[in-house]
Amino acid sequence: MRTIEYLTSPELAGLYWPGVVTGMIVGVLGGLLSVLVVLKRLAFIGQGVSHAAFGGVGLAYLLGVTGATRAGAGTLLAIVLGFSVAAALGIAWLSSRRGTRTDTAIGIVLALSMALGFVLLREAGVRAAAAGRAAPPDIESVLFGSIVSVGWGDALVGGAGLLVVGLTMFWLRRPMLFWAFDEEACEAFGAPGARMKLVLLVLLALAVVVTVKLAGVVLATALFVLPGAIALRLSDRLATVVGVSVGAGLVGVLGGLVLSFELNRQGGPMIVLVLIALYALSALAGLVRIRSSAPA
Amino acid sequence: MSETTPDHTEPAIEMRSVSFTYPRAPMGAGERGPAIEDVSLVVERGERLGILGPNGGGKSTLLKLIVGLLSGASGEIRVLGRTAREASRLGLIGYVPQKVGAELEFPLSVRQVVAMGASAGLSPLRRMPKGRQAQVDRAIELVGAHDLRDRAIGRLSGGQLQRVMIARALACDPKILVLDEPMVGIDIEGQRRFADLIQRLSSELGLTIVIVSHDLRTVATGCDRVACLHRSLHYHAAPGGLTPAVLAEVFTHDLEGVFGEVHIDAHRAEDCPDPGRHHKPHSCDGRDHANDGGTP
Repeated sequence: MRTIEYLTSPELAGLYWPGVVTGMIVGVLGGLLSVLVVLKRLAFIGQGVSHAAFGGVGLAYLLGVTGATRAGAGTLLAIVLGFSVAAALGIAWLSSRRGTRTDTAIGIVLALSMALGFVLLREAGVRAAAAGRAAPPDIESVLFGSIVSVGWGDALVGGAGLLVVGLTMFWLRRPMLFWAFDEEACEAFGAPGARMKLVLLVLLALAVVVTVKLAGVVLATALFVLPGAIALRLSDRLATVVGVSVGAGLVGVLGGLVLSFELNRQGGPMIVLVLIALYALSALAGLVRIRSSAPA
Repeated sequence: MSETTPDHTEPAIEMRSVSFTYPRAPMGAGERGPAIEDVSLVVERGERLGILGPNGGGKSTLLKLIVGLLSGASGEIRVLGRTAREASRLGLIGYVPQKVGAELEFPLSVRQVVAMGASAGLSPLRRMPKGRQAQVDRAIELVGAHDLRDRAIGRLSGGQLQRVMIARALACDPKILVLDEPMVGIDIEGQRRFADLIQRLSSELGLTIVIVSHDLRTVATGCDRVACLHRSLHYHAAPGGLTPAVLAEVFTHDLEGVFGEVHIDAHRAEDCPDPGRHHKPHSCDGRDHANDGGTP
């Protein structure tokens, strides 16, 4: 098994372990957030938010910020986070105006981020070459992620992100659940409803930033949709759904990484494929469950 | 929050010259202008008021003003001597929306949904106090949903879901219960149970009840007084005085709204209000409303 070899050999362990640990963190994050994303039909917004990270990476490298030094990595992170949060708020703002539908708003923000990301990364590449600086990462690895680019600093940031997301969701569990279930009634009962969507979008942006290096801009969304979709196929009890969702996120990430080691392929796509296989299984199991519980 | 003792001589709801214009016309609505205009209305404690009017006549606007979902109306609105927003924050109003916002595959049990009504304003670190737990159980008991308490919210009939929504409203121990179009989508058995329940809530708990409907029968059967609203108030007295002339005036622009496609259904004559209690209302000539069982 290559997996065991990679993770135990002294030369390679340092290269892969940070990615594995970050992957576990990301799996839990995806499990927690995806339930609400699916229930509130925010999958497409998640897509917009995660693609915005691409624009952020482009801008950072154009400004000469690279992840090589600790300060550089921090600045890079801040810029990408800024872009994703701005995209989240931008989508919320655009779609709150009458006349712009949410999906239109997302379409606009998504296209803008992608176009900006490409242009800026290419430009950064040209400038870096001229100035003799290190080249920016190739576009493919930004789009689809690369486990070897993930370092212990990223794992640390991921852990902090998980802490922030977890604590916020615990703190706001009642209004958030009420808002998710019944937006209008939530306000009428005197609970803060309208703010919950913004909170969720910002948490999503944060989670995306933690995820992109590993799974890439394009595939990060899968982690914020599929675990919840899988869990909701299997149960209608909240505690079970959240538990299964976190489990699916973990199995998806770890399974995907093992596959990527064994087959010597990139991690991001493998994670997505494993999650989709799990979804297919859950859909099948869901069908069986419905059939067996249907009245004769 | 500073809790001043409300004056017990204050009426439940008092509106003086209330007008409301939406800042921008809702999408699809062609005309602008006030949604409601110069409405003055007093609802005494313990009273059951029906607000009748055509679709688009301002009923929902009036209701949203009462439960504090809309603000910025001119004139004065007092709910138990407080502003509407304050009253809803203190749980003085229980609101039963026409539809639940969420899709119903939401992974919550009936009890979890009802508990939302009791925990909306609770501090995040506190568990729900015993007293409120008991109130939740009592609310479920009151609406006769005890057998359903562990059932997933998605596995209820229209009538059962409505009773659960009423229980959620009762869970915050309100003084006023506000219901939006309660008969829409409810079958005949459900409608009968609903009428009984409203009767009991009024006599046993002394609740002030406000029912908004476009359906004459809904308000004629269970209410002490009826207010006919079409932008402004056209009638405000006992249902017995509702003559075809008054109704024609209120529904001039939208007779379909109240009568739907009128058809004869002699079997439903027993659904008519007790003739001894009021004069025989207009709708009880053996006719019925085609859209009782569906969406308007």
